[in-house]
Amino acid sequence: MTPHDWYVENRVAFVARALEASEERLFSDHLPRCEECRREVARLERDLGALPMAATPVAPRPGLTHHLADAILYRRVWWRRAGPAFAAAAAVILAVGFGMRERQQRSTLTSALTDRERELSALRDTLSIWRESQRVVQRDIAMGNHRGGLLIFDDPTTHRWNVVMHGLPAAPADSVYQFWFITRSGMVRSVELRCDANKPAFATLDMPKTPGPVMGAALTVEPAVNHSPEPHGLELAHVQF
Amino acid sequence: MSPPPDAKPPLGEPAASRRPAPLTLAGQSSLRDRLIARDERALVELIDAATPWLLGLVQGILQDQDEAEEVVLETFRIAWDRIATVGDEHEALMPWLLRIARNRAIDRLRRRARWRRKTERAESLGALGPATAPFSEPDESAHPGWHVHESVHAALRTLPEEQQKVVRLAYFGGLTHSEIAQRLGIPMGTVKTRLRLAFDKLRLALAPIQDWVR
Repeated sequence: MTPHDWYVENRVAFVARALEASEERLFSDHLPRCEECRREVARLERDLGALPMAATPVAPRPGLTHHLADAILYRRVWWRRAGPAFAAAAAVILAVGFGMRERQQRSTLTSALTDRERELSALRDTLSIWRESQRVVQRDIAMGNHRGGLLIFDDPTTHRWNVVMHGLPAAPADSVYQFWFITRSGMVRSVELRCDANKPAFATLDMPKTPGPVMGAALTVEPAVNHSPEPHGLELAHVQF
Repeated sequence: MSPPPDAKPPLGEPAASRRPAPLTLAGQSSLRDRLIARDERALVELIDAATPWLLGLVQGILQDQDEAEEVVLETFRIAWDRIATVGDEHEALMPWLLRIARNRAIDRLRRRARWRRKTERAESLGALGPATAPFSEPDESAHPGWHVHESVHAALRTLPEEQQKVVRLAYFGGLTHSEIAQRLGIPMGTVKTRLRLAFDKLRLALAPIQDWVR
C-alpha cells in the first residue's frame, strides 16, 4: 500500500465530509498537489450532486425569501437609497469647503487691497509734490539681478529735495546706501537710505548748508562704520541737476 | 413559497410527463447567464425556487432554524458574488448551491461548542427524520425539483438499510466516521466500507439526474 492509496480510499469520505478534522486537513492539503485526486473528487461531487435533494424541503417562514433577496442586494439598494443623502452631505461639505476657501481668499484679497490702497495713497502724495516740481531726475541702477533706480525731484513750496530709491536689494553686510549732494565746493554727505527690493526708500532733504548752488547728487555704497566726508565706495548713480 | 403556475401538472397525465419544467423560460437566457449578467430578478427567482431545498438540507444538519436561515443567506450571497468566477460553467447550479450550503452547515456544526448537545437533540428528534420522512403534503408534489427529490429517494431505497443509515448520518447529519461508529456501535472500518459501497452505487444511480434549475 502506497501513501497515495490512503487518499484514493478516502475520496468518498472527503466528499461526504465524514473524515475527522485532522484527516480532512490532510486531504485538503493534498488536493492542490494531486491532479488525479482533484479530478476524481470533482467527478464524485458532480455524480452525487443531486444527493442533497433527498432532504425534505422546508417551507420558508413568511417573508424570508424577500429578506434574503434584500440582504444580498442590500449593498446596492443601500447605496441607491442613501444616494440622495450622500449627495446632499457631499454638497454641504463642498459648500462649507468652498465657503472657507472663499473666506480665506477674501481675507487675503482684503489685506492685499489695503496694501495697494496705502501704496496708492503714498504715490498720490508723491505725485502731488512731483507735479509742481521743476527739476526731476531719474537714473536706472542695476545691482546683481536687481533693477532699480534713483528718482530725485525738488519741492518748490518747501525748497526741499525729494529722493526715492527703489528696486534695490538691502545694502551688503556692514555697508549702507549713502546719498551725496554735489556742490561747487565738493561732495556733501547727506542721508543713508535703507531699502530692500520690495520697499523703496523715501527721503525729503533740506538744501545742504554750503556756499554755492547744488549741482547734482550721487548714490554710493559706503562702509557702515566709515563716515568719511568724501565717497570711497562703489558709485551707483551720479546725476547733474 | 408559491410554485409557478405552470409547475402544477394536469391531472391524469402519466408520471413522466408530470415532471415540472426546469426553472427557465423558453427563449430566455438560462438563470445562470442572467445571474452572471447581474439580473436581480434572476436572483429572486433562484431564491424562491431553491430556498426550501436549502433550508431542508441545512436545517436537517444543524437542527436550528435561525442558523439554517443564516447559512442559506450565506449560500445565496456566495452564489451571487461568485457566479461569474466559478470555473466550470457547465456545473449545475442547484448541486453547486446545495454543496455550498451543506459544507457551510457542516463547518458550523463542527465549530459549535455545543455541537455534541445538538447532535444528541438531533438524535432525540430522529436523525434520519428529515431525510427519510415520507412526504405526504398533497400539493408539494408540484414543488419545483420534487421529481429530483423522488429520484434520489428511489436511489437511496435501493441501498441496504445499514448503508442507508451510514449515508444519512454522514451526508445529512454531518457526522464523521468515528461519530457514526460510536452512534451505531460498529467498528470504524465497517463505517468506511459501508459508506464507500453506498456511494459507489449512488453515483451510478444519481449521475444521470439532470439539474432542474437551468
